Amino acid sequence: MSRRTESFRRSLGLAPLAWLAFAMYAVFLVYPLLYSVWQSFTNRSPLRLNTAWVGFDNYTEMFADERFWMSLRLTLIVTVFVTVVSNGIGLLFAMLLNKQTVNYRLMRTLVFIPQVLSGVIVGIIWNSMVTQNGLINVVIRNLGGQGIGWVGTPELATLVVCVVVSWMTIAFCTVVYTASLQSVPAELYEAARMDGAGAISRFRNVTIPMIAPGITISVTLCMITSLKLYDVLAVLTSGGPSNSTKSTAFYVIESAFSTNRFGYASAIAIFLLALTAVLSYITSGLLRRREAHL
Amino acid sequence: MTAIQDPVSTRAVLAQSAGSSSRASSREASNRVKRTSRVTLAWLATIVFILPIYLAVSNTFKPLKEILGNPLGLPINPTLDNLAKAWNRPDHLIQGGLLNSMLVTGLTIILIIPISSAVSFWISERTPKVKGVLLAIFALGLMIPPQVVLQPIVEILQVLHLDHSYPGLILQNVGGGLMSFAVFVYVGFLRTVPKEIIEAARVDGASEFRTWLTVVFPLVRPATATVAIFIGLWVWNDFLNPVYILGALQGQTITAGIYASLGTYSSDYGQLFGIMFLAAVVPIVGYLAVQREFIAGLMSGAAKG
Repeated sequence: MSRRTESFRRSLGLAPLAWLAFAMYAVFLVYPLLYSVWQSFTNRSPLRLNTAWVGFDNYTEMFADERFWMSLRLTLIVTVFVTVVSNGIGLLFAMLLNKQTVNYRLMRTLVFIPQVLSGVIVGIIWNSMVTQNGLINVVIRNLGGQGIGWVGTPELATLVVCVVVSWMTIAFCTVVYTASLQSVPAELYEAARMDGAGAISRFRNVTIPMIAPGITISVTLCMITSLKLYDVLAVLTSGGPSNSTKSTAFYVIESAFSTNRFGYASAIAIFLLALTAVLSYITSGLLRRREAHL
Repeated sequence: MTAIQDPVSTRAVLAQSAGSSSRASSREASNRVKRTSRVTLAWLATIVFILPIYLAVSNTFKPLKEILGNPLGLPINPTLDNLAKAWNRPDHLIQGGLLNSMLVTGLTIILIIPISSAVSFWISERTPKVKGVLLAIFALGLMIPPQVVLQPIVEILQVLHLDHSYPGLILQNVGGGLMSFAVFVYVGFLRTVPKEIIEAARVDGASEFRTWLTVVFPLVRPATATVAIFIGLWVWNDFLNPVYILGALQGQTITAGIYASLGTYSSDYGQLFGIMFLAAVVPIVGYLAVQREFIAGLMSGAAKG
């Protein structure tokens, strides 16, 4: 008993700071999340005087909404493209640059830069390249060719979005894989070589198993990043042409702040959260299981 | 493998054996060719990859005519006009934006570090069961897309009379998903701190608060560096929260301000590149300054996430 009061007295000094943290987290994360869940079952809107409970109406509407499916299709295309491409190229880059001379260190520093740029800056840089009068078309015209509307058709614009987002995440993947590769003991490669393993076999049987934790991190984070994609799109294409590059996160913002349908926006947002949770749970679970087996 | 990774010793070994047989010297030659072609290939890949950055930087220092005539080349007549045009905008986009961004980023970091490190220490001292529950709740914040909570947060800030204000923006930065990140970095780091050090402080009769302030906080400095660097970068680069919490008419952070004024100069590439350069220079210089901590933090943070 006295020990308990003693430890209570001691923890008292720190507890107010801890409670402050819990209070802030409750106000700015837990409550907004619960609020959003509640709201998704209502027709709430600032344009409406009374809010009514509408059950699953928002969700039913969502699954019948062509705009929603378009946004989901774009989000999934970008997510798959970005995750596969940026992890593949990131690993190749990390292997290519995994040396300790000044040259290679300088190259690594340069390659890592895109990941510290904001989505807005990346959007502007690439926008200045791909618009009708952008730098790429300027070069093509100077060479006597004809400019292409890189973000003029839905298909090309989607491809451009995939490339630009990958560009940002390749830098991140390269950092993760570089650090993973540097943690692989050189003796392992030596031993594999002694056993007569060729380059491909060494990659499959030494490199991949040893960097498996890095793969889990990199793949999962690329996926989460792509699923909540918004700011690059807002600047790069503004979601066009004809809504073809509006991600699901983009559609949430538009529904909440442009068309003022808070209830509907919340339904889409909760769906996006569930999708993110399920996909990252499955992916990291699958990859972790491989880690354990190897 | 180690020999290849260390070219100095490779060269030394090869040089020693070079005289002894012609076979060794031909092997040295072939090694050198391999090395050179690898460096060349690596540089080519690097240059292609960072070409967009090169374009943005080199065109910042070209007059508009040259941007359109020769976008790929280095500036022939280097000029600071674009930077001057961006800097001297009548709306003071750059000066105001940089100042606001520093304020928001600095205050967010200053508030989040003591609060999150204290709560992390407090969580670490709980029973495994309580700790598990609390960490599960904090894990939510790592995964929730910001779009899910943004509109409710705007309303909460209205109720608190903090809407369209910097205190509102900063407080929701501190209490939101960023706190989850900070807590996970700190709790992860605290696992590596030997219990004896903390016990020793207790035996001396120090209160929990004192123990945290004088023993724990200095010990977790590497975690604090990680938290400061990443939260600083994310808050600086944040676009969604400032745009919708401060509102378009308010003085903006640099990242949101650029977005808000997009379109007004879409035809003036020179000024566009000038603004972009001035906005991007802060995170890039910051990254170059703390590159080592940045990468170490990314790995330790990612390993736990």
